[in-house]
Amino acid sequence: MILSGWEAVFFWVFSIAAIFAALLTVMARNTIHSALFLISSLVSVAALFIILQAEFLAGVQILVYVGGVMVLFLFVIMLVNVGEEERGQEEIFNRSRQVTTSVIFCGLLVAGLIYALNVGYDGLQKRDAATIAKTSADRQTADQNLNASATGASKITKGTEWVGNGLYRFGSLPFEVASVLLLVAIIGSVMLARTLKQEAAVDDVAPDVLEKQAIDDPELLEMKATE
Amino acid sequence: MHIFLLKLFTPFFSLLFQEPAQGRMALVWERAQHPDLSKFLIIGALLFIIGVAGVLTRRNIIVIFMSIELILNAANLNFLAMSRYLQETGSVNAVAGQIFAVFVIVVAAAEAAIGLGIVIALYRNKETIWVDEIDILKW
Repeated sequence: MILSGWEAVFFWVFSIAAIFAALLTVMARNTIHSALFLISSLVSVAALFIILQAEFLAGVQILVYVGGVMVLFLFVIMLVNVGEEERGQEEIFNRSRQVTTSVIFCGLLVAGLIYALNVGYDGLQKRDAATIAKTSADRQTADQNLNASATGASKITKGTEWVGNGLYRFGSLPFEVASVLLLVAIIGSVMLARTLKQEAAVDDVAPDVLEKQAIDDPELLEMKATE
Repeated sequence: MHIFLLKLFTPFFSLLFQEPAQGRMALVWERAQHPDLSKFLIIGALLFIIGVAGVLTRRNIIVIFMSIELILNAANLNFLAMSRYLQETGSVNAVAGQIFAVFVIVVAAAEAAIGLGIVIALYRNKETIWVDEIDILKW
């Protein structure tokens, strides 16, 4: 896969944007800013997905991550109080020794990974060069035969169709397991985020705990009495 | 000691400067104009490392969760880059990477929901979101 022309330009623009936004996510003092930088990083990565011809995944990334997960994050940030952090009174990083160690470790990991990727990719290229040359001609004819879109300006790719086919043919069991996982996550997060009052309302809390807590919040005992 | 270091870093130098001096920048520019699979993998690695650094260095538990999202996203980028590469080689499993990425997104969403539920429960009980103050499981 070798990009050229505008694809290469967009690749560099979006990858540099993704990396800078990721760095700012980690380094921003205000948590809301972190979340917004993370959103821009995710959108840039979605653009990289489109360059990789994975249009379905790019759409899912924007819908699920940016539309769902990040909104959840923003709600939670606004629920918890982070005033001290914003005013600069609290240290946002761990102790300096921990930070130094982890940054050195990460730098070594980056150097090793880039070196290994370069060497490994050279080997991979040597191995697959003949196959790629052989299949590229087939791909070009296949691309020519794709259906035109409604406006006629572009062609409709088969990528999403392949993903759907593969998902239901080879991945149907994991798909079902994933749906059960999501159900468990929904129920679990509802259970975790309940207040004591809500727990008392469904009679789900030990009486002695309730009495102990009622010192701070007399409403709890009244709630118990009415039941 | 110097000889050892030189030997250790020789592969890096030889990677950077394969051509004689006058062709160096031209080679770098020529490679940058045609990004290939390895560039995508390097971007994925950088995003992953930034996420790891965030998990290791930040004190705010919500930012740690965001860094985990970054890590999962970098893994997705790698999956899709390899999937595109396999499409070029005509492999039968070419879309397996895209299918796996769907499941990674599902797991990330579930993890975020549960994790933020835990954050809310913790904040209700401990009134803090600093991970070094949340030590109730310490003996």
